[in-house]
Amino acid sequence: MGMQFGIFTVGDVTTDPTTVRTPTEHERIKATVAIAKKAEEVGLDVFATGEHHNPPFIASAPTTTLAYIGAQTEKIILSTATTLITTTDPVLIAENYAKLQHLTDGRVDLMMGRGNTGPVYPWFGKDIRDGIELAIENYSLLHKLWREDVVNWQGKHRTPLQGFTSTPRPLDGVPPFVWHGSIRSPEIAEQAAYYGDGFFHNHIFWPASHTAQMVELYRRRFEHYGHGQAHEAIVGLGGQVFMRRNSQDAINEFRPYFDKAPVYGHGPSLEDFMEQTPLTVGSPQQVIERTLGFREYAGDYQRQLFLMDHAGLPLKVVLEQLDLLGEVVEVLRKEFAAVRKPGVPDAPTHATRVAAAGGPADSSVYAAADDVTGH
Amino acid sequence: MNRIVVVSAGLSVPSSTRLLADRLAAATTEALAEAEVVHVELRALAHPLADHLLTGFPHGELAAAIEAVTSADGLIVVSPVFSASYSGLFKSFFDVLEPGALDGTPVLIAATGGTSRHSLVLDHALRPLFSYLHAVVAPTGVYAATDDFGTAGLDGRIQRAAGEFAALVGKPADRGVATDDVMQVRRSTAEEFADPTPFEELLRNASR
Repeated sequence: MGMQFGIFTVGDVTTDPTTVRTPTEHERIKATVAIAKKAEEVGLDVFATGEHHNPPFIASAPTTTLAYIGAQTEKIILSTATTLITTTDPVLIAENYAKLQHLTDGRVDLMMGRGNTGPVYPWFGKDIRDGIELAIENYSLLHKLWREDVVNWQGKHRTPLQGFTSTPRPLDGVPPFVWHGSIRSPEIAEQAAYYGDGFFHNHIFWPASHTAQMVELYRRRFEHYGHGQAHEAIVGLGGQVFMRRNSQDAINEFRPYFDKAPVYGHGPSLEDFMEQTPLTVGSPQQVIERTLGFREYAGDYQRQLFLMDHAGLPLKVVLEQLDLLGEVVEVLRKEFAAVRKPGVPDAPTHATRVAAAGGPADSSVYAAADDVTGH
Repeated sequence: MNRIVVVSAGLSVPSSTRLLADRLAAATTEALAEAEVVHVELRALAHPLADHLLTGFPHGELAAAIEAVTSADGLIVVSPVFSASYSGLFKSFFDVLEPGALDGTPVLIAATGGTSRHSLVLDHALRPLFSYLHAVVAPTGVYAATDDFGTAGLDGRIQRAAGEFAALVGKPADRGVATDDVMQVRRSTAEEFADPTPFEELLRNASR
């Protein structure tokens, strides 16, 4: 698999401005599952969910959601976008996602992020002023927990660990692949580069110049830290699209959603925002052309996720969009493959990572037995 | 040659705010012997500023204005008085600058109003704003009420303010702040991207 294509959701419960109806939490949660299953059906490779702990979102408890979807799908990779590495105990992340890895036979990866709102920090006993510190210290512990069977650890932001073993151990002895996401913080690009992990830029709502700047820094530092050449770094991008066969129909239908959407609503016009950010509203062909242009400033990259279920769009419309996206992705796979420079790595999967590690190695850790009785 | 950027928030055309800004720019140019003067009129940026407040990024002419202001050798800032303070438009422009963008930048503050009763706006509103932004504010600011434009005193205040401001521009302040024996310098976003803090250092600082 050269590139991976998929969708990511923030799980917002937003009023549909055309009907003034707001879905219930239950409806939105069930819709998320339907959307994920549809993503697999139309041939996408990845479904990713955000993590938020406040209304109007239903994106808390991401591993519950992903496990439930995992049980009803066969091929699609389940990811986060993003996991709050700042406010979630790294021990819990290590356990939850290793368990999910076993349950889904390795169809799991994670994207680390810092969170969408200041108050989320105190809800979990943290302080937003420590945001970068928490992202760095917590991840260094998580990295260790998945790679060392017995961990002795001491840091500033959580209690020390003495002889601790996180269970279950990662599937086949290979931890889930990790992406680090940030819009503008150079520290996070630096972090992704240091570990040789992936870097994901959400690439929506903001100008592409932010994306170009972060990806360039990540690639440069990836090479600096000796993980390979800059073009071998693992890059993922977001994107936001709305499509109809006829581009004017797409614009007319999406405009009321755009005008009142969270984040950018009540601001610039749809046309201005399309020019200023990667948002594309139009025909499938326009989406194909715009998306193919991303590599001009990000280089050849490994993962493309689209935001499709935002701003109050009803489930029926989202599912129609996914049918169109399936067709678009089929073309994108061929077109990207045709222009891809030699030497660019494929998107990482559990299978390729196990192969790179020299094959599967069961990493179960058993409790110590008595040397005399064997019990 | 020093580049002086003049930010004025007048709304009408012609504008007494712009008139005062022009007088201050001319007096400063004279005091510096030569200077490049760039004008930023906020009226034309009102819509892009509202967009920036909502979207979190500048575009087009606003991005260019921000670049001009944050790279200036000195700033002359002039606001009309609205409800006993600088105008919302004026404040919005400075609200969207990146933290640290004006660290150490010399600033000449000025305001216009219908009556001289508002003259303390300079010291109660503009000076604290620019102190907060870590700019270096010239001791004399210039307030001009409508009737000041018909009196002789305004000219003297303009000359004095421009002279002090020119002296600050001619002798740039160190953009660092010495604390104990360590020189703490706030790094701009551009500097951090060009030369990132090595991860080992970030890791050490995270757990210190």
